[in-house]
Amino acid sequence: MNEAASEGLSLGERIAEALKFRTIFTVHFGSLSVPVTETVVTTWIIMAILIVGSILLTRRLQEIPRGAQSFLEAGVGFLNDFAKKQLGHHAKFFAPYIGMVALFLGVANMISFISPMSGFGFEAPFLLKPPTRDINVTAAMAVMTILVVLFSGLIVRGPVGWVKALVRPSPIMLPFNLLEYIIRPLSLCLRLFGNILGAFIIMELIGMFVPVLVPPFIGLYFDFFDGLIQAVVFTFLTTLYIAEAVE
Amino acid sequence: MDPLIAIGAGIAVMTGIGAGVGISLATGKAAESIARQPEASGKIQSVFLLGIALSEATAIYGFVIAMMALFS
Repeated sequence: MNEAASEGLSLGERIAEALKFRTIFTVHFGSLSVPVTETVVTTWIIMAILIVGSILLTRRLQEIPRGAQSFLEAGVGFLNDFAKKQLGHHAKFFAPYIGMVALFLGVANMISFISPMSGFGFEAPFLLKPPTRDINVTAAMAVMTILVVLFSGLIVRGPVGWVKALVRPSPIMLPFNLLEYIIRPLSLCLRLFGNILGAFIIMELIGMFVPVLVPPFIGLYFDFFDGLIQAVVFTFLTTLYIAEAVE
Repeated sequence: MDPLIAIGAGIAVMTGIGAGVGISLATGKAAESIARQPEASGKIQSVFLLGIALSEATAIYGFVIAMMALFS
């Protein structure tokens, strides 16, 4: 936040100011102008980190792992084992999606921890805030997950089996089973969004009262640990819903 | 700001009470069952994580409602 502009504002106004998504630039398609916000740019940065990281780590793979490759194999093996334990023989197909969700959310939730701290005088474009504090990002993730659940259920069970699963254990449950397809993405979306937004607001408040030295250490809990836990929870619930749809 | 909005936001955040009680119950039971059956700790842990995620959701809903009341 710009210190000169925030002088004389009340606490609530300063928080509201920090919660705004700034428009970095605007793209014009004829008469249509699309604002590209901070969230999108941060997501691009995360994508760049993940893509460059994957290319660098998988460039020289050897038969006998050494150095970074052993960590890479341990990480990939962990995600694959997790998918296999929950999904059984379907794991081969769904493991890439689950790993993608875990990696993206892990980096996205912790991006403010690995980005330059505000205490060192960095200003906005270089001060990365977690994109998951934008409800649009979490909503997109939740919709993606429920689409995967829907189509995997349709493909694995076939249309007839899918309809049969809807009226299980009895036809009275039909509306509730249908409602699950709305409630699940809603709760996934709001859980991630609320947690990250809450941690973000607490970090902003701490940054206002004690701008130097303290925020990185408290950020260890709120940015790092909480972000990791929420990424794990989102991935876990995604896996569980898919497992329920394809079992 | 209208003081009623602030009071409403405060009431909405009181959903945290339920989440706190729920998570503490789940943690207590998880610790108990791990003490009883240490070999099942992996399974208990995954069920525990799912449970706290679901019970925590109530607190988060309250928080989101409070935020919507305050900043929209």
